[in-house]
Amino acid sequence: MTEKITPVREKILSNIRIQRFTPGKDRSPYFDNFKMEVETGMTILEVLRHIKNTQDSSLTFRAFCRSSICGSCALRVNNKTVLACSTQLMPILKDFGKATVTITPMANLPIIRDLVVDIDPVIEKLAKMHPYLVENKDRVPETLEKESLMSQEELEAFGLMTDCILCGSCYSACSAVKADSNYAGPLTIAKAYRFSVDPRDDFRGMRFQAAMDQGLWSCVQCRKCIKVCPKDTRPADSIRDMRRISIDAGIHDSPGSRRAKAYTDDVERIGQVNKPMLPVIVHGTKGWAAIEAAEAGLKKHGMEPTRQVCSLPGQSGAAKIYAKVREIEGKKKGGKTNG
Amino acid sequence: MLTYDVLIVGSGGAGLYAALKSRMEEDLRVAVLTKVYPTRSHTSAAQGGVNAALANKDPTDTWEQHWFDTVKGSDYLADQDAAELLCREAPEVIREMEHWGCPFDRTTEGKIAQRPFGGASKPRACHAADKIGHVMLHTLYEQGLRHGVDYFNEWLTISLLHDGKRCQGVNALDTRTGKLHTIQAKAVILATGGYGRIYWNRTSNAYGNTGDGLAIAYRAGLPLKDMEFVQFHPTGLRRTGILMSEGARGEGGFLLNGLGERFMTRYAPEKMELGPRDLVSRAIETEVRQGRGGPEGEVFLDLTHLGKEKIAERLPQIRQLCIDFEGVDPIEEPIPIKPTAHYSMGGIHTDINGLTSIEGVYAAGESGCVSVHGANRLGGNSLLDILVFGRRAGNHALEYARSVELPSMPKDILASAETRIKSLMEGESEEKLADIRRDMANIMANKAGIYRNAADLTEAVEDLVELKARYKRLKVKDKCKVFNTELVAALELENMLDLAEVVAKGALERTESRGAHSREDFPERDDKSWLVHTVATRGSDERPVLHFDPVTITRFQPEARTY
Ligand SMILES: Cc1cc2nc3c(=O)[nH]c(=O)nc-3n(C[C@H](O)[C@H](O)[C@H](O)COP(=O)(O)OP(=O)(O)OC[C@H]3O[C@@H](n4cnc5c(N)ncnc54)[C@H](O)[C@@H]3O)c2cc1C
Ligand code: SF4
Ligand code: SF4
Ligand code: FES
Repeated sequence: MTEKITPVREKILSNIRIQRFTPGKDRSPYFDNFKMEVETGMTILEVLRHIKNTQDSSLTFRAFCRSSICGSCALRVNNKTVLACSTQLMPILKDFGKATVTITPMANLPIIRDLVVDIDPVIEKLAKMHPYLVENKDRVPETLEKESLMSQEELEAFGLMTDCILCGSCYSACSAVKADSNYAGPLTIAKAYRFSVDPRDDFRGMRFQAAMDQGLWSCVQCRKCIKVCPKDTRPADSIRDMRRISIDAGIHDSPGSRRAKAYTDDVERIGQVNKPMLPVIVHGTKGWAAIEAAEAGLKKHGMEPTRQVCSLPGQSGAAKIYAKVREIEGKKKGGKTNG
Repeated sequence: MLTYDVLIVGSGGAGLYAALKSRMEEDLRVAVLTKVYPTRSHTSAAQGGVNAALANKDPTDTWEQHWFDTVKGSDYLADQDAAELLCREAPEVIREMEHWGCPFDRTTEGKIAQRPFGGASKPRACHAADKIGHVMLHTLYEQGLRHGVDYFNEWLTISLLHDGKRCQGVNALDTRTGKLHTIQAKAVILATGGYGRIYWNRTSNAYGNTGDGLAIAYRAGLPLKDMEFVQFHPTGLRRTGILMSEGARGEGGFLLNGLGERFMTRYAPEKMELGPRDLVSRAIETEVRQGRGGPEGEVFLDLTHLGKEKIAERLPQIRQLCIDFEGVDPIEEPIPIKPTAHYSMGGIHTDINGLTSIEGVYAAGESGCVSVHGANRLGGNSLLDILVFGRRAGNHALEYARSVELPSMPKDILASAETRIKSLMEGESEEKLADIRRDMANIMANKAGIYRNAADLTEAVEDLVELKARYKRLKVKDKCKVFNTELVAALELENMLDLAEVVAKGALERTESRGAHSREDFPERDDKSWLVHTVATRGSDERPVLHFDPVTITRFQPEARTY
């Protein structure tokens, strides 16, 4: 028994609001409104192409693979960074309950024209991270007769980050980049981490330094990069792990790592963080000014500041957890050298 | 003027491998010029795998068996000496990629994992989940950064420069500024990818796979080879042509026509949906031509009977693909599909080192034709082709560039490129770019696509001449110099029109059916007359002139291609 197939296709007359800007011609960005019929199945990219083909051929955007693998087409739709090619418009119109949608370029990057941003700053930062494998002679054979041996588990330790398509979405959404344009950005540190935990690599020391120089500790772990990444590579997790392995490797000498170390040491010692003294630990003698200012503030409100923090009752429990963690980590390391 | 020893046009796998090889010893200046950022090249879209007889999965596999599979798959049109090199050097290039960090999946012993692939007698496709092209491309890019390859990103090459004997370089447009430049180079390697976009929306290829390198070479007097051979994949999404892998059919998906009939009963009653790619493509095309397609000339891949759980569990990526790109949830409704142009077997005519008839000019990858794929490419062999022949071209160009001085350059070398851009940018347009492009795609799909015959092809050739005349009246409306994507599209369209004509002409002349070329009026392979390569050059009237070259046969005598 067969039945004729008639696909259901809804149509909505919509208003597409697009940010326009041509440097040299326009003083500042402005918006153009385009009316068009949006039908079920249309991606943002199809909408942009439709407008370019039928209404305004000067509308400028990037796209290449149109299948979410090349990373060309990231932009913002109603302020959220997405890939234009893999984002359906109809559900967005329905979610927002209105027939208007606003399209703007990625943030944190200079605009070249309309929706096209200059991605070179990201690439330059990436290039400084030594984002390539440097052969570890113990693992990588000298000749092309053999491949290096590596287990699937070893591969999976960094496999997720090899999914990155360099689309820049995470960079556009990043709080730390917004606060400080010198910060390397999520994808670049995540890439450095990817190579640093590849057992075939022999260059992690250089990468730690490069990451430190470019703000490894500036990330505030807001996890926006995780939210927007179209490939689910979880850059913030890699950054966290990069911090961990760099401390393990004995690189303590930065405000961020000193803070992290003070937190962990204090909790083990007294069960809580010795907040009053933190500025000195993190920033050295410069920290005293901050402490004195804070003390003056407290005094003004009639409070008596203290530099002593007492041990909490639960401290012994915390110390036990630390001991346990050390035991497990010791075993792991032991296992590696023996195996 | 910018000057390099070796200049590579194109940053797909072929271009980047060639660049790396010529820069490895760090004594030459090497640059890659590409119209997109390197990692955005189409190589990134390859999902399945790359072939090499490593014998990791099946210890009895040998490169000779790979060689035979390749020749048989090509319907005996591959040059057997070239196919031999492809398969012999395969294990080396794969291991080299591995040593550079490419994250191939692993066997339990920690070696590179391999899976079975269509047309291969042994499991020899090396994979990395479903993103092999992506990881290969990124690995090559990363190593290029390490070794100091220069990149010119978002530069569009417009013409190839030579003095009739020797390479001089290229003219290119920096799209960011709109400025034209000449880049002088001792050697140029064209690695600009395929021309699947001559079918425009009916292709699995990226927007930029417009065959630029081929058209540039053709206009510079270099011959193109076997252009009529274009491989179609049966299941592309209706709207975009994006590929739906065989996986969905493998799990028990049905192909239904617009009337809801499981039409494969008429064409392959035993294998049904799992018949070979070309057969399924032709079956779909027949249904649609005979009026049994859906409302927009599509058929349907129906998974609904598999049930929600099985789909969510076994085919999650395919489901996501349908939701993201087609707005259809396969749990609820059948997926609309159309056959989609997938791979360009034809390309710039080269020898086994990628060298063309001009000293210092090379071609590699999908834009070249050595020929290893003949009339039909095997899955997993094109990623291999770009590595092996990218490497060979890189090595050869390196030696060549070391042995010669910089070429001399005439003063007015940029003039013709300037005139061309100017004529597109100045004046009011009487035509619409999108209209010409759509008309080209329709001509190609309907008259020079999956099915071909003399009457349709004769019409196609005439239609294309008319279309080229219309193109001459096209002007770019956007007059801004900065990042002018309309100008880029217009230049790409010109390239595609030239190539479409060569494809149609070759298809018309070749009165047989072989591999991907299927003539309704000549349904049999004809080894007596047609075991030859089609070689096209541009005549003085700007129309293609064909001649035919013999195929190199060293070991395997042609047999019927049955599986
Ligand atoms: C969906 C899909 C899946 C596939 N899966 C597989 C698979 O599993 N296994 C397999 O072996 N093969 C597969 N293939 C085929 C394979 O991916 C391609 O044949 C191969 O990647 C081509 O590589 P390339 O280096 O020749 O060209 P491309 O990767 O296409 O690169 C071309 C380059 O040239 C540049 N360029 C083009 N024109 C110009 C110009 N005018 N100026 C400057 N630069 C220019 C582009 O910017 C780009 O960098 C697949 C193809 C598709 C479409
Ligand atoms: S978690 Fe860190 S890297 Fe990620 S967006 Fe927030 S600040 Fe940026
Ligand atoms: S990490 Fe994700 S969001 Fe960031 S560039 Fe890579 S793919 Fe894009
Ligand atoms: S166009 Fe390639 S990711 Fe969207």
